[in-house]
Amino acid sequence: MSAIAALLIFPGGVFLLLVGMIYEWIDRKLVARFQNRMGPRWFQPLADTIKLLAKEEVVPDGVDARLFFTLPVIALAGAMTAALYVPLVGFEASYSFSGDLIVTVYMLSLLTLGTGLAGANTLNRFSLIGATRTLTQLFSYEAPFLLALLGPAIVADSWQIGEITDYAGDHVWLLVTQPIGFLVALIGLMGKLELPPFDAPEAETEIVAGALTEYSGRGLALFHLGKGVELVIGLTLVAAFYLGGVTHPLIFVAKTLALLSILAGLQALMTRLRIDQTVGLWWRYGALLVLAQFLALIVWEGVM
Amino acid sequence: MPTTPTQENDVFRIPIGPQHPALKEPGHFEFTVDGEVVTAATLRLGYVHRGIEKGTEGRNWIQSLYLLERVCGICSHVHATAYCLGVEKLAGVEAPPRAQAIRVLVAELERIHSHMLWLGVAAHEAGFDMLFMYSWRDRETVMNLLEGITGNRVNYSANQLGGVKCDIDGEQADDIRVGLDFLEGRIKHYLDVVSQDTMFLRRTRGIGVMTREDCERMGIVGPTARASGVELDLRVHAPYAAYPEHPVNLVTATAGDLEARFIVRVNELFESIRLIREILDDLPEGDLSVRVPRRIPAGETISRVEAPRGELFYYIKSNRSDMADRVKVRTPTLPNMASVLEIAVGHQLADIPMILTGIDPCFSCNDRMVAINDPSRGEQAWTWEQLRQYGIEYYR
Amino acid sequence: MRLGSMWRDALSALVREPATQQYPFERLQAPEHLRSKLHWDLTNCTGCGLCAKDCPSDAIDVIVLDKKARKFVFRYHVDRCTFCSQCVMSCPKKCLEMANDEWELASLTPDDFLVYYGNEEDVETVLAAAASNGADASSTDTE
Repeated sequence: MSAIAALLIFPGGVFLLLVGMIYEWIDRKLVARFQNRMGPRWFQPLADTIKLLAKEEVVPDGVDARLFFTLPVIALAGAMTAALYVPLVGFEASYSFSGDLIVTVYMLSLLTLGTGLAGANTLNRFSLIGATRTLTQLFSYEAPFLLALLGPAIVADSWQIGEITDYAGDHVWLLVTQPIGFLVALIGLMGKLELPPFDAPEAETEIVAGALTEYSGRGLALFHLGKGVELVIGLTLVAAFYLGGVTHPLIFVAKTLALLSILAGLQALMTRLRIDQTVGLWWRYGALLVLAQFLALIVWEGVM
Repeated sequence: MPTTPTQENDVFRIPIGPQHPALKEPGHFEFTVDGEVVTAATLRLGYVHRGIEKGTEGRNWIQSLYLLERVCGICSHVHATAYCLGVEKLAGVEAPPRAQAIRVLVAELERIHSHMLWLGVAAHEAGFDMLFMYSWRDRETVMNLLEGITGNRVNYSANQLGGVKCDIDGEQADDIRVGLDFLEGRIKHYLDVVSQDTMFLRRTRGIGVMTREDCERMGIVGPTARASGVELDLRVHAPYAAYPEHPVNLVTATAGDLEARFIVRVNELFESIRLIREILDDLPEGDLSVRVPRRIPAGETISRVEAPRGELFYYIKSNRSDMADRVKVRTPTLPNMASVLEIAVGHQLADIPMILTGIDPCFSCNDRMVAINDPSRGEQAWTWEQLRQYGIEYYR
Repeated sequence: MRLGSMWRDALSALVREPATQQYPFERLQAPEHLRSKLHWDLTNCTGCGLCAKDCPSDAIDVIVLDKKARKFVFRYHVDRCTFCSQCVMSCPKKCLEMANDEWELASLTPDDFLVYYGNEEDVETVLAAAASNGADASSTDTE
């Protein structure tokens, strides 16, 4: 019974979707205020979602209809499953086992993978270019992002999220000891969510809506929800690992919101990178930096 | 499984337009890409052909002014100025000095509004919405100034045949000065941003380079040409209206890339502000207009002015009636459009919207009937029936 | 070379009111020279019709009922007007004016866009003539 509740109400399900929408609203509102605009009203993401869910899904010619309908579901399901293993809003994770960090990161990639496949499934030329870019970007930030999350795992000597957060809570904030990892993790999250400046895969002035150009109704709503969920989980992971572990829920939420406002600021201030520049940035600087830190950590552990 | 044009001949073509988020007006581009790199480009125009030139032949000289003002929504005043100067030349009258000064003043305010609009659009194409929002917010200042002077925000209708309609009193002059002081500070900031922001420069520096020779060969005009070092500005080289009394300093750059186009346009804003201040301090006294006869003496003339986008050309022919016999307009976007197709090749797909915006295109301005010389068919001109048939086939 | 060179704008915008104007709730004051709805004054009008002749968008009909008795009705199509004020310039007797009030011209019915100026009985004559000629008022041009 509690398993079903965990899946449907808290921490998965309805609660997660709502939190995702709230975070999305905060993000949009902040960017708008940075740009001296009003920004959307608080219920706008909810209204968008309801509208999209109510709309007819137009299945374009030449796509595999089964894939077209299942990919958004898989993407959202992947993101929501990941939520079961992370300490959402400062509460203990619902499930935990040794190695759940790897599973979580894998589940989080499902969304991007689903987006890419959804784009490749259609014959739309913008979708195809968008899918190529989405998958290219997936391969470029995924390794640095994973490495950035593994840094805390190394020092905690565990692959279990609960143990890593316990370690982070008992020691000085890992932000201080592993600043590069924190930076790469934060920016990796932006790359993962295709937020500006890493929004080349959905650059509207070039390829309209990228991989999701052909999605109009439920599918689009599910992908958007998935993105909101992933934003919450990503922020939770980074805050739990680098900003002093799991603490009182209110403090923890405040930490994630602080991270979110940093993300919003970066989104507002940066110009969109071309896809080759995105890849170059990650592999030339991101991956190397985080590897250097990784080596330093391993050496440090060996010395201790 | 149905096939799409993407699979023809193993080339992958990206259509941009006629409806596309990067285009604010309809035009159809097809870019053949190899991965992300563009290997060929084609262009089809004519989606917003409105028959304005033909329309002038059924209206009297005064009504045509307002029709021609609507050739372009952004630089409406220069169209009206070019037409008025041409008709006044045909009629053998000259607008009073105060009217000429106000014409130039409104034209320069319009240049500020047009360039700031472009700055925002170009920043948006690069994915830099921050600059977009702020430059458009500040552009409201100049829109309000224009509204305060002429009474309209977009198609100002400041001109009339023989002069201008609106005067500038001391209070308005002060408003303009205050607005310009604010704008000058903001524009300095934007110059810093476009010439120093690392992320933004990654999208502009060295992109879409056009050499001086390229520009001269393709007949590029306006700030696009000046960014490549072509010294061509009608306000300097063929001054009209009040420009002889208020000389303009030529603004050029040599790099010829997108960054240079940004810098040239932003620097032109400073020049416009300087000019407006100079005119305000030294506004000649006198009448606002002279009488222009309803029937214009027979004859033909050309009239050239510097629009925000480059040289604007009017040919006007009169056969001593109250209507124009022929009005021909060449807007600056038409020659500039050729450059997009040429410099796009070899660039990344992501740079294409930037390159396209770099010329500050205005599609509805340049969409007009062009006589097609087809030597293979030996045809020079089309009969009405052929034209009609062409239209039917085209829109099928 | 600087990263994020617009950060000052971003931070100051946080403490500043958004530039967006909440239109129906707050309204800008119209500038003094704004061109809004056209007004016609019968006093000096000679019924010459120059305003209608020069109007680029066919928004003015001057209906002459009786030239000697100076019975004129001025019909103004607000929806066609482009607010260029050429009629104001063309009028030799300065009977026309574009005042800066009445610029909110949106309406739910097309009837509001057809404005008659003139003496009441003259307007009624024109309207009665239009009604007897059928619903289409524009077919009663008697310039």
